[in-house]
Amino acid sequence: MTFALLLTSILAFSACTASVTPAPAGEEDAADAGTTGAYPPGTMTVYGYGQPQYWQQFFENYLNDHPDVAPGVSVEMVQTENEADARQKVQLSFTAGAYDELPDATASAPVSMKALADGGVLLDVTDYVEQFKDRFVPGALDQLYYKDRIYCLPKDLRPQLLFYNQEIFDQYGIDPAGMETIEGYIETGRQLKEASDGEVYLSYIDPGAFTWRYWGRRGLMPQANARIWDENGEVVIDTDPGAKLAMDTLATLNEEELLYKSAIFQPPLYDAAREGKVATFYIGAFWDEFLRKNLPDMEGKWRVMPAPIFQDLGLGGAPVVGLECLINKPDPVYADLYKTIWEAYQFDADARQTWTEQMVAEDAPYSNPISVEMLQDDFWKEPTPYYGGQSFREAEANGLNNVSQNLIVTDKDAEADTIISAEIESYVAGNQTMDEALANMGEQLRERIGTAPVD
Amino acid sequence: MSSNSIWARMWKKRQIYLFISPFFILFGIFQLTPMVWSFYLSFHEWNGLGAPEFIGLGNYRFLLRDKVFHSALRNTVIYWLANSLAIIPLALILASLLNHTWLRAKRLIRTTVFLPYVTATVAVGLIFNMLFDYNSGLINSLLELIGLAPVPWLTSVQTSKLPVIFLNIWRITPWHALILFSGLQAIPHDLYEAATVDGAGALRRFFSITIPSLMPILFFSFITLTVDAFRIFTEPYILTQGGPANSSISIVQYLYINGFSIFKLGLASAVGYALTLILLIVSFGQIIAMRRESGLMEGN
Amino acid sequence: MKTARTTRITVYGLLLIWCLVSAFPLFWMVSASLKPPSESFAGINAFIPQDPTFANYARVAQLVPMARNFVNSVIVAGVGMAVTVFLCSLAGYAFAKFDFPGKNALFLLLLATMMVPPEAGVVPLFAIMRALGWINNLLALIVPNAATAIGIFYMRQYISSFPSEIMEQARIDGAGDFRIYWQIVLPVITPALAAWASLAFIARWNDFFWPLLFLRSKEMYTLMVSISVLPVSEGLSTPWPVIMAGTTIAVAPLVVIYLVLQSFQREGLALGAVKG
Repeated sequence: MTFALLLTSILAFSACTASVTPAPAGEEDAADAGTTGAYPPGTMTVYGYGQPQYWQQFFENYLNDHPDVAPGVSVEMVQTENEADARQKVQLSFTAGAYDELPDATASAPVSMKALADGGVLLDVTDYVEQFKDRFVPGALDQLYYKDRIYCLPKDLRPQLLFYNQEIFDQYGIDPAGMETIEGYIETGRQLKEASDGEVYLSYIDPGAFTWRYWGRRGLMPQANARIWDENGEVVIDTDPGAKLAMDTLATLNEEELLYKSAIFQPPLYDAAREGKVATFYIGAFWDEFLRKNLPDMEGKWRVMPAPIFQDLGLGGAPVVGLECLINKPDPVYADLYKTIWEAYQFDADARQTWTEQMVAEDAPYSNPISVEMLQDDFWKEPTPYYGGQSFREAEANGLNNVSQNLIVTDKDAEADTIISAEIESYVAGNQTMDEALANMGEQLRERIGTAPVD
Repeated sequence: MSSNSIWARMWKKRQIYLFISPFFILFGIFQLTPMVWSFYLSFHEWNGLGAPEFIGLGNYRFLLRDKVFHSALRNTVIYWLANSLAIIPLALILASLLNHTWLRAKRLIRTTVFLPYVTATVAVGLIFNMLFDYNSGLINSLLELIGLAPVPWLTSVQTSKLPVIFLNIWRITPWHALILFSGLQAIPHDLYEAATVDGAGALRRFFSITIPSLMPILFFSFITLTVDAFRIFTEPYILTQGGPANSSISIVQYLYINGFSIFKLGLASAVGYALTLILLIVSFGQIIAMRRESGLMEGN
Repeated sequence: MKTARTTRITVYGLLLIWCLVSAFPLFWMVSASLKPPSESFAGINAFIPQDPTFANYARVAQLVPMARNFVNSVIVAGVGMAVTVFLCSLAGYAFAKFDFPGKNALFLLLLATMMVPPEAGVVPLFAIMRALGWINNLLALIVPNAATAIGIFYMRQYISSFPSEIMEQARIDGAGDFRIYWQIVLPVITPALAAWASLAFIARWNDFFWPLLFLRSKEMYTLMVSISVLPVSEGLSTPWPVIMAGTTIAVAPLVVIYLVLQSFQREGLALGAVKG
């Protein structure tokens, strides 16, 4: 009896709270609220992944330096597991109508951003972001658009970079400049293998999902101008010449045994790098942190250069965008405060440098600014001891000089990644040829997804 | 029997119903609604936002033809068989070893053999990954030491289930050993003494006293093991992420990927129901087979 | 009972091997947590730190609000354990020792609920928790597991192996059903209570899935959640030795609890003593 009553009341209650539709706060309303400069005391909550506690430090710095902007407001960064977990938390609260539990902002990435924007969870910030368009490095906004609107603020834009162990190249008298092209990169791998009697591998290959992520989606595919979907959302990965070029390149590296087979982010790979078995790390600026944190004993040995390019295509790596999305709550009281602090992060050179120096002191992660003006400062060209005096910051900035377009991201791409990756894993495990892998990718994508709506 | 007398009998036992009521109340609140809801959702397509779209039996039909689900089903059955064959005998041996009254340093030994179940999965995942590493793993080093070729444990489609099975046995055996050990402690010593006086050897005592006395607990272990094995998730998740090429993926992992990383919530619900159906069939088969030994369905 | 020397040697030998296999990964974890990130810890020769340091522990303390999360874990696991052991043993006693209409049907229903994977119903469960106001509240982790099917099943099996005569005697003496449970059944089943308490405590302490779902601020996270989300960043900027320091801190209380709960495990005397 009590049980039945309890159950009914709970159901009724949850139905009530779930059926209240949010009054989507228009951008204009939010802007009006912001101009008064008054924010209610409370906590601004932000979901992040990776290491959001360092991002929080910038917010705290700002609030300390500007005590009149938002007195009584504190910031909390909640660490979530990853992009999918952050999305899961946000959409659970949103679907349950739990607007008071929603964060004010969340970190995200293109696939989740599109799904959340479609569901009406994110604030439209098109006009706000576009006013800064000319002050950002070219391409900074490219991955932000969804159905011609912008739903997230760009936090950073990191290029694809190749990290190499200078000591190995010196030892065997090989010039790393040969790795400017992918053809040269493969050739360098062959030379290293021969000179070292098979001891030194050009790079690594992961047996799991990271191979598609780093070698494929972010690496060779965009540089080869490859496509998974055509403009109508039909699967073309198995017929696209770019995809064939990208995957055949990986196959060449793998089948000539130029890649050390070892799981990424695992201690055995660190050890292999330490022992000089892995000459380069392909690809992505994040390797900087990976190397500094996990191989501090190799300081001075590593150098960095832009990702190698296909000779005939000349396209650099496709940059990775970091997104910070404001949540469409009925009353987004801190949306403007978030924007103000974000503006300081992007354009207030002093604030950014102070924070960056804190990060350096704590050996914490940070990335280059995306504002053209800020990048002019010599601060962003300072030498980095870990790279033997080469400036990592400058190299990161240079990495954006020649970029390729990222693969089109549809809201089916998280699923597509699992399908494509399974076929590549099967190839890496030696169970099928790369041609078979490509054919199976096409077949499985059509079977399981069909067409993907390209916005 | 008239309904009146049933109500009267139930009223007489009202206190007993009170004893068992917390579970059923909690079940009603926290499990029943989600179950009904996910049954409804299993006929829909939904990404967690907006309105679910009705697709009839579409999700179930997809499962019937999806090769990844087939792989998950096949792997899970293999995990279940391997676990059933290994864990209960090992746990029984361990519990018997621990149950010797003359054993010294009991607490230390019991705590040590129980460590696998205590250790955080993040740490276990890392360490087993290093143990089974192809290039520098301890296991391959040992194999090479005795002149055998290294095995690509985690990186080959053919062998990737083995580390998962080893890890599962390593982690779960102490759990069952503790359960069985608690059962052994309830067996009165005078039973053994009487048998020894009658000239029964250790082996005969084990089969004529230990096993029969332990039957209710053994039955519990078998059912729990089946349920756990069919719901295996942690081990493949932390070791191989189900790969390479889905060669070690389990059903719950398949459910997890659909529900929590690619947000096909309708399909995830259908997987949940498929799994429930399989488990009901398998475990009720076990219940019927062990009906007499289990002490279940006696009386009334 | 005299035991042959060879039996003893065999038993000790087997247990020694068993202990080594069981403890070895944990030993590795602790050893890795004492290594500076510059030291290799993957290879066969890397078990003993050459240059031990507690810096990794200090680092974890910077990354995670340790004391607060520890308290959360203690509440979730401690309260959860106590409630579960009580409610499961009470219901197990009812199923084992009484006949009542619908008993078998209810028990089969209870078993059937074990077969349903709870992960599939996360969205409505979240709505229910929200209706109760339990999002970001430790109650969301304690109450749903306060009486579990598996715990009741275990207690029922355990209690059913005891003869009912002792209860009958107490009943003749005028004791009610609850008093019999409290004064007669509970003392007899202490090994089962201790075993189940250990397992329940560990399961709640190590749980990662549900806390991550229902808790929404790092102050409310349990220790295991805070530690487990550390290694997820791209490029893994939290070095493994730091994570191993975190897991060592998280696991240490479990070992202590388990040691303590073992005082309640007395071998071989339970029924004999009662009978006598």
